[in-house]
Amino acid sequence: MKVMRAFFKYLSVAVVLIIFVGPMVWVGINSLKPTSELLGIPTFFPKRVTFEHYRHLFDRVAFLKYYCNSFLVGVVTATVTALAGAFAAYSVFRCKYPGRHFLFKFFISSYVFPKVLVLVPLYIMFSKIGIIDTPLALVAAHVMLIAPFSVWILRAFFQGVPVEIEEAALIDGASKVQTIFKIFIPLAAPGIAAIWINAFLMSWSEYLFASTLVVSDFTKTLPVGMAYFLQEYAIEWGVMMAGSVLIAIPPIIGFAFAGKYFVQGLTAGGVKE
Amino acid sequence: MRVEVPYGGPRLFLPIIWLILTFPRKGIRVKQVFSSISRDPILGLLLVLPLLLWVAATLLYPAANAVYISFSNVRYVGVPAEFVGFSNFERVFSEREFWNSVIRTVIWVVLNVVLQLVGSVGVALVLNQEYKGKEFVRNWVILPWVLPTIVLAIVWKWILDPTHGVANHLLMWLGIIERPIEFLSSTTWALPTVTLLNCWRWTPYFSIIVLAALQTVPRELHEAAAMDGASIWKRFTRVTLPSISPILKVIALNSFLWSANIFDTIWLLTRGGPLSHTTTLPIYIYSKAFRSFRFSEAAAASILMFLGLLFFVILYLGTLLKEEGAGR
Repeated sequence: MKVMRAFFKYLSVAVVLIIFVGPMVWVGINSLKPTSELLGIPTFFPKRVTFEHYRHLFDRVAFLKYYCNSFLVGVVTATVTALAGAFAAYSVFRCKYPGRHFLFKFFISSYVFPKVLVLVPLYIMFSKIGIIDTPLALVAAHVMLIAPFSVWILRAFFQGVPVEIEEAALIDGASKVQTIFKIFIPLAAPGIAAIWINAFLMSWSEYLFASTLVVSDFTKTLPVGMAYFLQEYAIEWGVMMAGSVLIAIPPIIGFAFAGKYFVQGLTAGGVKE
Repeated sequence: MRVEVPYGGPRLFLPIIWLILTFPRKGIRVKQVFSSISRDPILGLLLVLPLLLWVAATLLYPAANAVYISFSNVRYVGVPAEFVGFSNFERVFSEREFWNSVIRTVIWVVLNVVLQLVGSVGVALVLNQEYKGKEFVRNWVILPWVLPTIVLAIVWKWILDPTHGVANHLLMWLGIIERPIEFLSSTTWALPTVTLLNCWRWTPYFSIIVLAALQTVPRELHEAAAMDGASIWKRFTRVTLPSISPILKVIALNSFLWSANIFDTIWLLTRGGPLSHTTTLPIYIYSKAFRSFRFSEAAAASILMFLGLLFFVILYLGTLLKEEGAGR
């Protein structure tokens, strides 16, 4: 009876893991199989390991260019989001002035706002001011998509920094701006790092706005570039899978480092302590 | 075309914004502690200004513009547009494809919310057991949510491929089916498949939140119920469910709003096909704008969608902020 119970317990955990983690592992393994093996009867382990798909990715597809574009947009978006988000969160959660509750509600509202509504107007607006098809347009859109949510996540982190420390710094003669930059920001650094990583990853994955705002081969980001090959009739599976592994690596690394903080931030927002 | 907002533009939009921001009144105050820096109102405003301006320029102004575009006939960017009244809305209303995608969106959203709720509670219960490697499993089960949508599309298009995919090989080997199923390109299977894949992505994310809620359920309550001879099922429905129901409500609304707005998962897997069998409203709007280049009709459809969701957005904000007030 006890053995049976333990068996079902581990079986259920294994099933959950296979369902949610298995597919990515499968693709990771398959990206190492030669094409002939991919098109035959599938076996779990490759009979012959090859890196040809990874090589083709860089030879035949403008993969490196897409990778750099995504990286650039991601880093700029994340930096702007972290700075503007941290300042806004400090202001909304720590400062006292009329209208701060309104601003807080405003940011939360813009987070749940259906973004499809601004897709066409943004496209037209950026075309008109001439920044369509540049990384700048995409950064502008991504910060708008991500930053309000970051303010929300930072709330939990900022409440963890005691006010007394700020008071002590002020009494010791630091100016207000110095206190924020030299005392508060370093103390809230884990939270700010978490939203930086989160913003980078959201920008890295974003498809809807990227597919309309950056369209030429020089500016396309990874999701847009790869989506183009996904719609062809004869998909080169090996190359696509190698690509998907390389796209998945930054999110997996980022999550391994910051996932814990991020999940904490998420659950702290919703669950009563 | 002219993109300046005409006299009517922003004003038409103001009541809606006002409604969103004033509706959830109760429990809205966030408890704050102030230091003496924080009593400097000018510093506070200066700090919030960059993000505020950014969001105003890229969200509020375009949103007001959407109203303007929907009431004019924008065909090409750069060509002046004229005011045409409600004719874009009339054209959208008279299209059968629009109504089909509305119905499909409702089906899609309901299926997603129900499956994600049931799934996330199920997964959370599994993860809540005592087993070795707990930390590892709980961290990595969220992987589908971490992966970019394009990766999800490549992974599942490969697994579900009719000729080379492992899913069909496996099902045929087990003798469940005789010929391969075209999961993503047959009219019967496309919508259920895409729905399940979207649930695959979101269920772990919600299950982590449910898991956190489960851990707040007092153990004594369970033990007391077990002492009284309550069955596992009874303990689940009488003890567990009532204590996690507030969080389930938040998840349901969250899942509702996100599913309704999902574009990339569907688009990358099926492009709304086959024969527009997976065309939900966001897909409809996107193809109207960037396939048929009917910007004004797309804007009209997006405003209709926004109005349809507005009630739920308000409900969500109310719940979120009330939870907030009660939790602190």
